[in-house]
Amino acid sequence: MFIRLENVYYTYNLHMPFETKALKNINLDIKKGEFIGLIGHTGCGKTTLIQHFNGLLTPTSGKVYVEEMDISKKGIDLKLIRQKVGLVFQYPENQIFEETIFQEIAFGPKKLGLPKDEIEKRVREALKMVDLDYNLYAERSPFTLSGGEMRRVALASILSIRPKMLILDEPTANLDPQGRNKILSEIKAIHDNFGITVVLVSHNMEKVAEMVDRLLVMNKGEIIMDGPPREIFAKRANDLLKVGLGLPQVTQCMYELKIRGKDLYTGVLNVNEAEKEILNNIKKLNSQLKKYERL
Amino acid sequence: MKILRNISFGQYIPRESLIHNLDPRIKILSCLAIIISLFLLTEFWGYLILGTFVMIGIIISQIHPKFVFKGLRSILFIIMFTLIIHLFMTEGEVLYQLSFLKITKEGLIKGLFISCRLFILILATSLLTLTTSPISLTDGIEKLLSFFKFIGMPAHEIAMMMTIALRFIPTLLEETEKIMKAQISRGADFDTGNIFNRTKNLIPILIPLFVNAFRRADELAIAMEAKCYRGGEGRTHFRQLKIRVIDILTLILTSIITIIASVLF
Ligand SMILES: Nc1ncnc2c1ncn2[C@@H]1O[C@H](COP(=O)(O)OP(=O)(O)O)[C@@H](O)[C@H]1O
Ligand SMILES: [Mg+2]
Repeated sequence: MFIRLENVYYTYNLHMPFETKALKNINLDIKKGEFIGLIGHTGCGKTTLIQHFNGLLTPTSGKVYVEEMDISKKGIDLKLIRQKVGLVFQYPENQIFEETIFQEIAFGPKKLGLPKDEIEKRVREALKMVDLDYNLYAERSPFTLSGGEMRRVALASILSIRPKMLILDEPTANLDPQGRNKILSEIKAIHDNFGITVVLVSHNMEKVAEMVDRLLVMNKGEIIMDGPPREIFAKRANDLLKVGLGLPQVTQCMYELKIRGKDLYTGVLNVNEAEKEILNNIKKLNSQLKKYERL
Repeated sequence: MKILRNISFGQYIPRESLIHNLDPRIKILSCLAIIISLFLLTEFWGYLILGTFVMIGIIISQIHPKFVFKGLRSILFIIMFTLIIHLFMTEGEVLYQLSFLKITKEGLIKGLFISCRLFILILATSLLTLTTSPISLTDGIEKLLSFFKFIGMPAHEIAMMMTIALRFIPTLLEETEKIMKAQISRGADFDTGNIFNRTKNLIPILIPLFVNAFRRADELAIAMEAKCYRGGEGRTHFRQLKIRVIDILTLILTSIITIIASVLF
């Protein structure tokens, strides 16, 4: 078990006139190598939750364990935890401050006190992971980049710490479709090629559901669903719609057909699967029709 | 990081109370009168009167005193500091001596005197900012400053600058916290090291903060121009300030109290 949360509650401005109960009774296990999508409306507590994973916030009550270590205990080296659990904030391009992209990405490794050649190795590796050419980019100023490129540099600046787990808070927010697809495919590749545990936070089901092994759905500070996306779409599509979280378009389409009386499986994630399912259904109907004709 | 969230000094708390509904100009003038008389008076009795007056104001305003005093906590250090400086640095009749440090009677009196002054000053200004929304506060300041327009005082511009500054203080604090957390996640460390290192550690916070602030200022300027903002000339206000009887009574009461406090004592 990599991360484990037990009965975690978190309240902002505790005992103040405007206190907000942001997390309520969260119980969660994250295993090594999982690819998780954390979905919920804006303001449901996603950002609050992920800040518990690397000790930026400590629960108002409850326990957080990282690799079986209780991280709210005194004397725990939180720096070590943050090295293991890399957290990429929303709009990470707003944290860029160095003169060159090289230095920006080298910030984390430098803080770890690594030797020079190791730092350079890590910068090269991190730039490669986000598909930016070292020779073209290393000496450029990060402030001259496009929004999508800036975000990839920010992502690289976490990857250069070599975290075992990567958490991304709304990595696609405010990007054009091309930039969005690019960064998502890089994240997928990072998970597949390096075995890094990934938690992808989003308020939008589209795209994410197709990539991840496991979905966590949050609503008003609670985790209301937890399971593989197929299973959730197959069994709990109407609950998802009830809390106002849409389904991916194809899944929505299958769901609409189902409530209009078609006997379809709604746990589909993309157009190909939907096509197969519908064709199967038509075949089934045809064979039934033939049976009737014979009678 | 914790400090950022505990600043209640200068924060508006909406309530339906007599004090909240007073005209902002009256509140500003009253606050000014209290501050001036704080510096004029020479006897402790004066502080007692003004202190009681402000406390009554706090009670009427329906704001929990706990909240008012919370704002004081951040100033407590300054008050203690002045008290200690005065305690040890004033010549006079020695009350107590510990090697080269000596506490004098004059020092004690002067220290307490200045502390009381600071204390009531913060209390009065907190009451003003806690009960007046930033918008009506700057409205009031603009109206008051426009008395001085004839000597070329840019009343509207000053008020606009204040409005924008006040509006963006919480945003900047929030952003500072966010950037700090982001850099901590990348391995930055703000709590250890000597003064020189700590100052250097601020660079990863300050640069993004400035970059974002300039960008935001640019966007705000464009947005304001797009909404046809062209300075104060001929600008009308949605909310008109009106002096009512209660406002005049408050002003008279404050004048009497502050004059008594500063002239008689
Ligand atoms: N720094 C903060 N201070 C006070 N309340 C906060 C703070 N950050 C978030 N909140 C509140 O906590 C709730 C959850 O916020 P957040 O975790 O940012 O949601 P999400 O990331 O899902 O959009 C919201 O109601 C929000 O207003
Ligand atoms: Mg968020």
